[in-house]
Amino acid sequence: MDPKSYFKNIVDNVTSIAIGMKITIKYCFQKTVTVQYPEQYLKFAPRYRGIHEFEANRCIACDMCAKACPVDCIYIDKSAPRKIDKKTEKAVGGELLRFAIDYSKCLFCALCTEPCPTDCIHMGKLHDLSSYSREDVVVEFAEIDKQNLRTPIPLWMERNKEKIPWVKGEYDRIKAGKLATTAADIPDVK
Amino acid sequence: MQYGLAPGALDENIDVQSEEMLVNMGPQHPSTHGVLRVVLRTDGEMVLEAVPHLGYLHRCKEKIAENLAYYQYIGYTDRLDYLAAMNNNHAWAMAVEKLADIEVPLRAEYIRIIAVELNRIASHLVSFGTYGLDMGAFTPFLYAFREREYILDLFEQLCGARLTLSYINVGGVTWDLPPLFLEKLTEFLDYFEPKIDEYNDLLTFNHIFVKRTANVGVTSKEQCIRYALSGPMIRGSGIPLDLRKDRPYSIYPNLEFDVCVGEGLKGTLGDCWDRYYVKMLEMKQCIRILRQCIKQVPAGPFRAKLPRNMKVPPGEVYAEYENPRGHLGFYIESQGGAVPYRVKIRGPSFVNLAITSELCRNVLLADVPAIIGSIDIVMGEVDR
Repeated sequence: MDPKSYFKNIVDNVTSIAIGMKITIKYCFQKTVTVQYPEQYLKFAPRYRGIHEFEANRCIACDMCAKACPVDCIYIDKSAPRKIDKKTEKAVGGELLRFAIDYSKCLFCALCTEPCPTDCIHMGKLHDLSSYSREDVVVEFAEIDKQNLRTPIPLWMERNKEKIPWVKGEYDRIKAGKLATTAADIPDVK
Repeated sequence: MQYGLAPGALDENIDVQSEEMLVNMGPQHPSTHGVLRVVLRTDGEMVLEAVPHLGYLHRCKEKIAENLAYYQYIGYTDRLDYLAAMNNNHAWAMAVEKLADIEVPLRAEYIRIIAVELNRIASHLVSFGTYGLDMGAFTPFLYAFREREYILDLFEQLCGARLTLSYINVGGVTWDLPPLFLEKLTEFLDYFEPKIDEYNDLLTFNHIFVKRTANVGVTSKEQCIRYALSGPMIRGSGIPLDLRKDRPYSIYPNLEFDVCVGEGLKGTLGDCWDRYYVKMLEMKQCIRILRQCIKQVPAGPFRAKLPRNMKVPPGEVYAEYENPRGHLGFYIESQGGAVPYRVKIRGPSFVNLAITSELCRNVLLADVPAIIGSIDIVMGEVDR
């Protein structure tokens, strides 16, 4: 390599590093784009597809969601036919023995929410359930409905509800059996 | 154990012959982008031969399709090329619509193109960021992911998911555009457009990066055609092959955009730098397409009325699609009924990967990540 191109190489390297440094230094003095989870958190979009929320009192156990599921992760069992009572909009008839979703299989594709005739299964806002064993991944929605819950309460929420304010808010919402997204949460088109 | 290498073949071009060694690169190597395993036959610093080994992420996608209804398979197409889920959904939906002769409403077509082009930007951002990472530049990766996050937020508003989107469905799209989405999209495009020039300053024209990628892994036009390459691989070699222009589908005939090709700006035509630069140019074209779509998107239904248990007439169909990585093809054979009889997927990165062993012949060991990174593979789609 001749001396001329040798020095040109060095000059080129130093200039391109200087150009890069100029850009990175500019960002040193700007607002950060990251948030400090779990103290801060990002709000979910109204359509967010997380762990399901299930209203057992409106489910007629028609198996439509289980049939639509591509991975067959929804298990439904009933004692006798159920149907919607027009006055109260609650399901009457036989008992809903089991409504379980296996989250080791679930794709979160929301295909189960589309065919539901009574609109009783929704995609919720929880995305971070975990469990110690493979059996616990199967969430028994009919069982947790007896505790007036629409969706399971994660362990981390139970443990941190006193420490972090927003976790307390979410915990109270689930405990009260409220859905994450109601029609009021979705803003109107202007 | 035989690794599919020619036994005892010595290369005449190298002056000093020392002992040959087999080096196993991957499946956990960070620069193989997933679970690709490359067996390298090396002589000191020189790589004499490289043979890619596949199959570490094989999930029987084609077989699964035979048991699922057409609309149910959408969730599986997300997981083919997981960086461009929208594009895969669109390709599958197009194939089924072609087979069942379904007409898609015009609004749905526009929403689809908006979603797809956004995903193309996101995919190119990952590709550009990780390529910088392979070349030892960490900062561009963080900047690329920062911008990608904005796109994923838009997707979250659009369909509720960030990676496995399942948005574009047979007959249209699953949900309509959310309120104020187009305004947010315009805001993002205004923010994003100057960022591309920033990336170019930061990485593309960086002298060290150019030295690492220019004149490395040169693909001639003949090789491109011989190996049936597509996407940025073939456009980087100067062949303007883009299905959006050549065999236009959807509403692409109504939209104005240029097909970007490599010009050998920093070295030989068709080197790694050209393939990389084509992606940077393509992002600008995506912005151009998106701006036109925002202006033109009409009112109307967003999904064709289809029966729940859609029956598809017997027949076979092949739908081609321009993925961020090249030609994605879905071949469906139907014998009537609700499920396909056979599905064959032509994955772009699978076909592009075939040229690895030819490009990685008699190169330095440090050039192998440069070449594999420029091919821009996604293993989820290579193995299927």
